[in-house]
Amino acid sequence: MISLLIGFAGYAATLMLQLSVFSQWKILSGSADLLLLFVVAWCLQDRSKNLWLLVLIMAGLTNLVSALPFYIPMIVYFAIYFVMQQFHKRVWQTPLLGMLIVTFGASLLQAVLTIGTIFIQRVDIDFSTALVEITLPSLLLNMLLAIPLHAIVRELSYLAFPKGVEA
Amino acid sequence: MFSKIFTPKNLRNLVIILVVAGILFLAVSGYLTPIFSFSISPFISAQSWLSQRYLAFSDFFNSPRDMATLRTENARLESQVAMLQSEIVALQERMAQSDILYTLLDFARSNPEHEYIAATVIGREVSPYLQYIIIDKGSNDGLRHGMPVVTQQGLVGRIDALISDAARIQLITDANSVVNVKLQTAQVEGLVRGSITGEIILDMVPVGIEVEVGDVVMTSGLGGTYPPNIFVGQILTMQSRENVLFQTSSIQPVVDFSSLSAVLVIKNFDAVNIAPLVP
Repeated sequence: MISLLIGFAGYAATLMLQLSVFSQWKILSGSADLLLLFVVAWCLQDRSKNLWLLVLIMAGLTNLVSALPFYIPMIVYFAIYFVMQQFHKRVWQTPLLGMLIVTFGASLLQAVLTIGTIFIQRVDIDFSTALVEITLPSLLLNMLLAIPLHAIVRELSYLAFPKGVEA
Repeated sequence: MFSKIFTPKNLRNLVIILVVAGILFLAVSGYLTPIFSFSISPFISAQSWLSQRYLAFSDFFNSPRDMATLRTENARLESQVAMLQSEIVALQERMAQSDILYTLLDFARSNPEHEYIAATVIGREVSPYLQYIIIDKGSNDGLRHGMPVVTQQGLVGRIDALISDAARIQLITDANSVVNVKLQTAQVEGLVRGSITGEIILDMVPVGIEVEVGDVVMTSGLGGTYPPNIFVGQILTMQSRENVLFQTSSIQPVVDFSSLSAVLVIKNFDAVNIAPLVP
């Protein structure tokens, strides 16, 4: 329960940072998605059984503020959750590498789903422009921010999961 | 009688008085200054020497206490300076905010046909593919879905979703945004579409129409989504290809969407939803 509260508080703080600061930091037209990074980093640390509930809440919060269709955060966040469950089962020993790999995959998945949704809505999209001006810069920013955010979330997780206590 | 007045005693007193009066007269006239200076200077030198030694002696014993007092005073003044600096920053921010609000107020006064609600931009869309902002006014302030949003420069977008104390605005630069517009000089109508990169494009202008760089683009009011005659932007470049019915142009928006901090919501305009009429 404590992990749920701390995870929720951390995500809420990240959400405010994303809306007010990180959405305005752009390379070309791409920006970092701190929320996705937080989900990846938290799923990497949290091994509790009710993590799925926190992932659901995180996706719900994102849906509340974002104009993205509701299913995109749901699909992406739960994909992250299931991948991380597999990592945990295989006793993943390199969390930073796991963070970077999952961040890369999740960012791409989110980009594909978003572009696909916009395309289905009959909006003319120049795919090469989308790739060069948004997807790749966003991916770069996500990968750059993944390392410091992983460190911050790891410190935060020590509050939720004190050393020696298994959830 | 004279022998009684000029007694030796009186004569002596008279001489003394005359001498003293003479000396006073000479002193007042300044004739004795060199003598005084010469006679006083040793005393002044001695007094100065003594005073300096005393001050040095006094400083030796009192300076630690003075240092402590000075340090305390310095710390107090430094904290006061820091406090004043933070106050200056806060006041500068308020000044900037006030300037924006005054400009918006001027715009509202110069366009009295509409009722406005001023709102502050508190957030931006999470996804880089979409162009939305979040403002600090919601349904509690009388906002409704579809209300147009402007600044003193021109059109910003419309309310896409709202809760009690906040609303999400779809900018005209969003890929899903379509605005019916007219060209002020050519008197022709067209559509302004957004894009995923945040650029806006004028479309559906027949090929035969001459569109020039710098032409002003304004809302036409068609479609019932936006009120007419709100500035959108100016023609930046034109693209006309062969064998197509319509020409397209890129538009330089009048609103700087990257630095939006305050907006006006047009309260007395009800957007018409014509979606059920579209075949």
